[in-house]
Amino acid sequence: MSEPALSLQVVLIIEDNPADARLLKEFVAEDRAASFLMEEAGSLAEGLERLKRGDIHLVLVDLTLPDSLGLDTFARVHGAVPQLPIIVMSGLDDEDLAIRTVQEGAQDYLVKGQVDSRLLLRSMHYAIERKRVEEALAKERDLLHTLLDNLPDRIYVKDRQSRFLRVSRALADLFHLQHPRDAWMKSDLDFFSREHAEEARRDEQELMQTGKPIIGKVEKETLPDGSVTWALTTKVPLRDKQGAIIGTFGLSRDISAIKRIEDQLQSERNVLRSLIDNLPDYIYVKDIEGRYVVDNLAHCRLVGAASPEEVVGKTPRDFFPIEAAERIMRDDHLIMEFGQPMLNREEKLSNPSGELRWHSTTKVPLSNPEGQVVGMVCIGRDVTERKEAEERLQQAMTDLRQSHEDLKSAQFQLIQAEKMQSIGRLAAGVAHEVKNPLAILNMGIDYFKDNLPTGDPNASLIIEDMKEAINRADMIILGLLDFAVPGALEVHAHDLGAILNESLALVRHDLTSHDITVETELAPDMPPVRFDRNKIKQVLVNVMTNAIHAMPDGGRLTLRARARQLRPEEVDRDLGSRLGDRFHAGDTVAVLEVMDTGGGLSPETLAKVYDPFFTTKPTGKGTGLGLTVTRKIVELHGGTIDITNRNEGGACATIMFKL
Amino acid sequence: MKRILIIDDEAGFTRMVRINLEKTGEFEVREENRAGNALATARDYRPDLILLDVIMPTRDGGDVAALIHKDRQLRHVPIIFLTATVSAREAGPAGLNSGGCLFLAKPVSTEVLIQRIKEHLPPETPAASDKAAGS
Repeated sequence: MSEPALSLQVVLIIEDNPADARLLKEFVAEDRAASFLMEEAGSLAEGLERLKRGDIHLVLVDLTLPDSLGLDTFARVHGAVPQLPIIVMSGLDDEDLAIRTVQEGAQDYLVKGQVDSRLLLRSMHYAIERKRVEEALAKERDLLHTLLDNLPDRIYVKDRQSRFLRVSRALADLFHLQHPRDAWMKSDLDFFSREHAEEARRDEQELMQTGKPIIGKVEKETLPDGSVTWALTTKVPLRDKQGAIIGTFGLSRDISAIKRIEDQLQSERNVLRSLIDNLPDYIYVKDIEGRYVVDNLAHCRLVGAASPEEVVGKTPRDFFPIEAAERIMRDDHLIMEFGQPMLNREEKLSNPSGELRWHSTTKVPLSNPEGQVVGMVCIGRDVTERKEAEERLQQAMTDLRQSHEDLKSAQFQLIQAEKMQSIGRLAAGVAHEVKNPLAILNMGIDYFKDNLPTGDPNASLIIEDMKEAINRADMIILGLLDFAVPGALEVHAHDLGAILNESLALVRHDLTSHDITVETELAPDMPPVRFDRNKIKQVLVNVMTNAIHAMPDGGRLTLRARARQLRPEEVDRDLGSRLGDRFHAGDTVAVLEVMDTGGGLSPETLAKVYDPFFTTKPTGKGTGLGLTVTRKIVELHGGTIDITNRNEGGACATIMFKL
Repeated sequence: MKRILIIDDEAGFTRMVRINLEKTGEFEVREENRAGNALATARDYRPDLILLDVIMPTRDGGDVAALIHKDRQLRHVPIIFLTATVSAREAGPAGLNSGGCLFLAKPVSTEVLIQRIKEHLPPETPAASDKAAGS
């Protein structure tokens, strides 16, 4: 066959008769090709010994040997070297024996005496060649058997009636058969449900009719016990040498496990898709170029598309204003370049109707199994309502804080008012009870004034001191009452300039007696201010009197009135401004300043200037209630008073009222 | 002589007023320290002017004034309130006019009191002058 017998073939003759052996050698020597090298063995034992050493290609064996006889001789040689071709030589022309030796595996049976050179050589050549073919076939068969027995795939051959001719071990196992041959002449009906068997038979009949193979068909196989397997089946026509279709050859692989995984995957995909489609959030996937590859309905609506198909393949540039689109693409690029997710980014984006709305977006890079970023998964939602709610909450918090502050302030005022009311009642009672005795003393002094004992120079001094003491006590009670019983305000709009002049008139005497000049700077556009005329006059007289007392040796009293807006830093409580308790930034206030050119106030005095009964004046000159009452009246008007030292010397009282 | 009735629960004060007014020789003064007797005393005394305290136990000056104003014979008698409830600054040296009445704040100087009394005394009728002249 494929291997030419050109090489030298070593032939072992096992023959106890030297004459016969010689004759055989002579026959062989006539071979023109000189293909054979002859070796001899005189007994079976010798022959077997030589065979053990190998390198023998053909054995010629006489059945009658000193140590073995008949068919047994052949059997022992064949048993020792089953792979070698063996030609049996016999003195007996026994047809039965000849057939039996050939059946047992001999290549030929030659009868001594009937053999010539030509016959022997041809028999030897044929024997070697035939053995080679047999070996090759056996190898093929072994290979086929190995495949059939060991492949996990189910392999079968069926005849034209779809009956099994051969099945592989794997299929026999599926059919619960002891041996693959037990399937012979059975059909799918014996092993599968009727439904599957009939479908397989229909397929096979069609295949045999058309000659068209079935490749990779996924089949559901139901076994009689109800269990289901899935198979990937390929069937091809089985043809005879003439090409006629004589059956089918099939191969099917159990893909139940794969199918299960596939079903699981499909089911997971379905869940995922269902989520993607039905969640109110925007869910979409982009590729490395920033193109949409997966999109859901919510996101479609956001970008104004009718369906996800309309979005897939496009980029944000197709849906958003150019600036927003460029910003999105830039973000996307960074996320994919650095592999860092972007979490809950909140930004304003316009929807198709052009309305700007708040969106929160999370983008996570998407990697392939090799770890390369190939795109990203994005999820977003409209958070406008939440944002607005947050803002409302913030506002509510601010309002609440303000109300809390107001409430605290109101509570403080209430407590303060209650306190003042108690003090007021007490003061009024005390005033009444003290004033009557004072009235008696006063009139008593009046009586004695005109009846002084003559010749006593002290008498009139004593009377004057007593009169002064009564006045002082009266003034203290007056201040106490002003402080404790402020009474209701009669508030009207007044011209500040007029009130200033009226108040100036009340201290005119003091001004001239102390040699003090007055300067009035009244802004021409000063609007009217709402206050209680008498109370504010009292304030002005108090403040001016203090200023005058600060300049016993003369000086200049400056009165300045104007309106202006408050700057934010002026009302910042954190900066220590007391104005913040009364005013807000931007409020327009009337500012009234009363300035003197006196010695100013020491820090200790500044700290106590409003304290009741605190005074820097000599005993009898001040009640210590002037500024206490002044501040009370100003505050009752919702205003502030602040007393400071001026840089150029002297003090300044600044009074502010809201306009 | 003008007849002045002073109604005040503070006996020390009414005495001081009486002594100071009578010292001038122009006034005759009757004191009444119980507000409840005020009307009866006034009817009996027939004053030319009444000085009336505001805050008194049992009946306050306002009630007393109302009774006097209702009285047919007394309704024209001027009343000056002397009170410790108004301060001198509120009342001022000229006194405070409220509801047609004059309020003077305690303590008050004799000088101011006499000045206000004279201002509020009804102008003398010729007959009254004659009577005064004849006494």
